[in-house]
Amino acid sequence: MGHDLATKAELVKLARALDTTPERVAFATTLDHGEVRRLREQVVGVLYDEHRAAFQRVATITRFLPTPLNVRIALRAFSPLLAARIAGEMPAERAAELANRMPVDYLAEACVHLDPRRAAPLLTRIEPNRVLAVVAELVNRGDFITLGRLLDAASEKIVGDVAATVPDDALLRIGFYAESDSRLTRAVLVLPPERLRSVVHRAMTGPEDLRSAGLSLIGRLTDDALRGRLANHAAELGFDAHTAMLHTALSDGAVPELLTAVAAMDEPSRKRVLTLPALTESGMLLRLHAAAPDHPLWSTLTNHALVRRLLA
Amino acid sequence: MRSDVRDELRRWFGADARALDVLTDTELAQLHEVMAAAKASQAKALAAASEEAMRQMPAVLRQGIGRILGR
Repeated sequence: MGHDLATKAELVKLARALDTTPERVAFATTLDHGEVRRLREQVVGVLYDEHRAAFQRVATITRFLPTPLNVRIALRAFSPLLAARIAGEMPAERAAELANRMPVDYLAEACVHLDPRRAAPLLTRIEPNRVLAVVAELVNRGDFITLGRLLDAASEKIVGDVAATVPDDALLRIGFYAESDSRLTRAVLVLPPERLRSVVHRAMTGPEDLRSAGLSLIGRLTDDALRGRLANHAAELGFDAHTAMLHTALSDGAVPELLTAVAAMDEPSRKRVLTLPALTESGMLLRLHAAAPDHPLWSTLTNHALVRRLLA
Repeated sequence: MRSDVRDELRRWFGADARALDVLTDTELAQLHEVMAAAKASQAKALAAASEEAMRQMPAVLRQGIGRILGR
C-alpha cells in the first residue's frame, strides 16, 4: 500500500492531471509511487496528445504573422488554456517571444496547462525577470504542484533567484511536488547557508504539512553531505520541535525518512536528539523499529542503551 | 469487469501500461471513469475555448483559421 510521502505527492499530482480530487484517484493507493508516476505520465500523454493535430495547425498559422499581431490575437481570442496548448506545438523560441510580451497573470494561468513534456525548452528562453514574476504569481495562488513541475525545467540561475525571493514555506511546498530527486537536490544546493538553516527550522517548527515536506525533502536528497547539513540544522532545535517531527513521521508513514535524517547527523547532534524524552514513551522505539526494521541506523545505534534493549 | 473497459484503457495507455496489470477490476473501472471524465471535460473546455477564440478573432483571419481548423 502506498501511504508514504512520495506516493501521497504522486496521488495529488495524478488527481491534478485528471482534473479531479485526490479522493477520486484513491484506487491508485495500491500502487507504489513509481507506478503512480508512470500512470500519471501516461494520462498526461493521452490527454495532451488527443487534440494535438488541431493545435499544430494553429501553431503553423502563427509562423506567418508578426509577433506583436500574434500576441494581440492570443490575448484577445485565446484563453490561457488554449494558448498553452498551442505554445506546446510551437518552436520554443517563437513561443518564448510571445510569452515575453504577455501579462504575468495570463502566463501564470497558461503555465498550469502547459504540456510538462515541453516546458523545459520554453522556460529557459523566457526572460528571467518574467519567469520570476510568474513564479511569484503561482506562489500567491498556492499552486505548488505547477511550481514543482516547473522546477525540473528551470535553470540553476532561475532556481537561485527564486530561492532568494520566495518564502521558506513556499520553497518547502514546491520541493514536496518536485519531479526529480537530483533536480531537487541541485535546487537545495544553491541555497545560501543561512537560508538553508532557515528553511530547515521552518520545516521543524511550522505546520504539519511543512514537517511532511521537510521529511520528504531529506529522504529525497541525492547528496549525503547536504543531507547531513540539513539534519544537523534540524538537531539545533528543541525537544518540542523534535517531538512534533517524530509524531508527523509516524502518522505520515515517513519513519524511514526520519531515521535517515538521524543517521545523517554528526555524532554530537545524533546524541542530542536521542535523548528526546518522547523516545522513552512506552512502545515508541518499538513502533519506530516496526515501521522500518531494516533501516541501517539501527545497527549503528547499538551503543545506545534504549536501542540495545530494543534489539536484544 | 466489462472487458471493453480494460481494452479501452489498454488502447489509451498502450501495451506497456503496467498499472493495468496490477490494479483490480474495481480499481480499473474507477480509473476508466476518471479518465473518461477527464477526456470529456478537456474536449468540452477546448471546444469552448476554440469557440470563444473564433468569436474574438479579427474578421479578416476568422475564415482562414476556421478552414484550417476544419470548421
